[in-house]
Amino acid sequence: MNLGLPEHLARESFSRALANAGHCAALVCLVIGIVVVAESAFAGGAEGELAAVMLLAAQALLLVLVARFPTVTLTVVYLVAGSAVVFALTVLVMQPENGVDSTNNPLLALPRIALLLVGGAGAGSAIALTWATLGFGLGEAATFLGAAIGGGSWVPNVAAAGAFGLLVMVRAYDGLSRRRDTRKETGLHRASQQTRELALRHDYELRATARLHDTALSHLVAIAAAGSGPIDERLRVGIRQDLGLIVGRDWAIDHGDAAIDDGAFGSAGAAGGAGRPGRSGGNGPIAAAATRTVLPEALEAARNAGLGVRITGDPAALEVLGPVRASVLDAAVAQCLVNVARHAGVGEAEVAIGPGHGDVTVVVVDSGLGFDVDAVPDDRIGLRTSIRARIEQEGGSVQVWSSPGVGTTVVLTVPEGGA
Amino acid sequence: MILRIRLAQQEADPIGAITAAPAVVIGASVAVAASVGLTFWHRAEINSPAAAILGIVLVAAAGVVASVSAWPSRAPFTAERLWVVVSLAVGGAIAEYVSTLGTDQYLYDDYGPIAIGLLILAVAPFCTWMSLLTAGFLASAVLAILAVGAAGDRGAGGSVVAVIAVNTSATLALAAAAAGYSYAIVAETLAWQRQANSAALQRDADMRAGIARSVQQSRVSLLGREVLPFLAGIMTAERITVADADRARELAEALRRALKAGIESTWLDDLAASVGSVRGVGVEVDDPGGAARELRVDQRSTLTALVSWLSNSGRSAGMTVSFRTAEHSGVITLEARPGVEPPTRRDLERFLAVARSVGMRAETRVARDNVSVEFRYDLE
Repeated sequence: MNLGLPEHLARESFSRALANAGHCAALVCLVIGIVVVAESAFAGGAEGELAAVMLLAAQALLLVLVARFPTVTLTVVYLVAGSAVVFALTVLVMQPENGVDSTNNPLLALPRIALLLVGGAGAGSAIALTWATLGFGLGEAATFLGAAIGGGSWVPNVAAAGAFGLLVMVRAYDGLSRRRDTRKETGLHRASQQTRELALRHDYELRATARLHDTALSHLVAIAAAGSGPIDERLRVGIRQDLGLIVGRDWAIDHGDAAIDDGAFGSAGAAGGAGRPGRSGGNGPIAAAATRTVLPEALEAARNAGLGVRITGDPAALEVLGPVRASVLDAAVAQCLVNVARHAGVGEAEVAIGPGHGDVTVVVVDSGLGFDVDAVPDDRIGLRTSIRARIEQEGGSVQVWSSPGVGTTVVLTVPEGGA
Repeated sequence: MILRIRLAQQEADPIGAITAAPAVVIGASVAVAASVGLTFWHRAEINSPAAAILGIVLVAAAGVVASVSAWPSRAPFTAERLWVVVSLAVGGAIAEYVSTLGTDQYLYDDYGPIAIGLLILAVAPFCTWMSLLTAGFLASAVLAILAVGAAGDRGAGGSVVAVIAVNTSATLALAAAAAGYSYAIVAETLAWQRQANSAALQRDADMRAGIARSVQQSRVSLLGREVLPFLAGIMTAERITVADADRARELAEALRRALKAGIESTWLDDLAASVGSVRGVGVEVDDPGGAARELRVDQRSTLTALVSWLSNSGRSAGMTVSFRTAEHSGVITLEARPGVEPPTRRDLERFLAVARSVGMRAETRVARDNVSVEFRYDLE
């Protein structure tokens, strides 16, 4: 998520927000003006009242147009028409029969305040102040003329002058406060981007870590353990297979991603490759999952390690997983089976697959040597990286039960769906 | 839409709200000046000087509460503070009414409506548009009652509705302006954030490719460059020699060590490494439990912005970021050694305001030889 407004948009955004504030206040002034006129007894009777109401309503309509489409033409039209409204209203109000002694009265202040709060075309405090000054000046001139024709004495309208002064203060503050460039200096927008990049980078590091671990570490350990002598053919085949997977490509990219890129899921996968995974949509990657072999990487790893695997339960439950999540689960199960082959001292393991309440669970069971779970050091890379870290990254969980001499059960649970 | 109702500028754009804090003082000063000026203007109408003075004092108190409450060190500005400000200002308007009871010639020169409106407008960056509008309407309801009372005292004829409309116009117009500003700035900010987030998602694909390539240059992949040729050599060899076995053991150990370091590091370690290499400012991270992973994205951005800012322009010569976590909460302490241009408390306030807007309680202590910033947050 990004925080606040970026420096390059702040000026325009604040200007628009302040203009919107002015328009709201102006509209309230005009509506109140209409109410006051409608409720007052005017010289000229009902016709005079109706004329005044119509004039104020016309100004309100133009104000809405300027607020919606702040073009130079509409701004000028609003200023000219608004001045005409102020002039006409002054003539009406200043009739001697109304007993209004000067132009400094609330009824004449309301359309004048609405006139100077025009906002207008363009962004920035200087332009806004120019339009407001025009509005104030034209309003004052219109009032002067109206008083000259209608009668009564012209006195500067205190409320309109006060509103103008307030607007000048607000706009001047806005312009001056942004000169310090605090926003740019704080660099929140830049930090948001950097954080996003750091998170992505870390995610890739972790994937690369798991990939290199799966590919290389077991072979290195096997070579170190074998000592001098002829190479075990199974080891040679294993190395060849793994190197074939990674040489000549961006090996750091998780093979789940790579599988999608390569259209490795066959024709159905290619058809749905561009879409996001979801539970609906027959051509999507989830539908494609139905055509996949169940846990291909795990079975391949077991075969290379000479381990027999019995799959039980409901393998179709894997179809509800997105291709990346299915691949992550596959890789984690593969690591479990490699561990069985390496440490359990048995030739067979059982993999039970089953759907849960919004989850998919895979249980890897062996009846081998087992181990004391509490005695496993925290830095055991295999369990932490290849199994637990991967599954947790997909929002899942891993539970391990084992006792020496009894065997080991690893339960891997991931939520349905996913990328 | 719901967000627009719930959010104020201080949450959506904390830096903008901080910038507005001095404007509250200005707005409050204008309100107090208006109350003093207009009281003097209609001094002939005053029949209770005590009430007149009380009115000014209440408006001044509202101004002080608004100014102090809006100051960054007291953020966030809560809805309760708005109600205190408006209540005090309405109290001022009532006192003004009492001071001219029966002798008020013109509503036009009463300061109550304008003072209330100005104070509502001044705190607009800190309140939701809905609360500002509600405050304006409720205050206007009180002013309407006062207007009816004043009209009755004068025995003036004419429409009561017109009298009420005139007396509430300043408050309603300024409250509408405040609400209009609050709504527009939050809408602008959210629109930009939606746009930026969607652009960032589109950019991610390109960034992923670049990052994947650069990850291959990292410590894990450099190791991979040693490991993979070695395995390739073994694959084509007839026999494994003792030297091969030793080399395999060495590489396995190196791989384990590198992997362990890689697993235990967090994004903050990456940031520290980047700051160290680009700006030459040492950043130590003390986070044995990897608590930095638990921070939300916006909280990470805040910490990233602060670390980057401190490491720039000689503000800090080096810093330590340490994490302590309990069951449901965490504390991040950033201790920085001042550089040639050490930061001031005021400089840091904006980061603290941003931190508060993303759910972290923040404090800072600035001394000659040490700058300390502490963030407390809840674990979800």
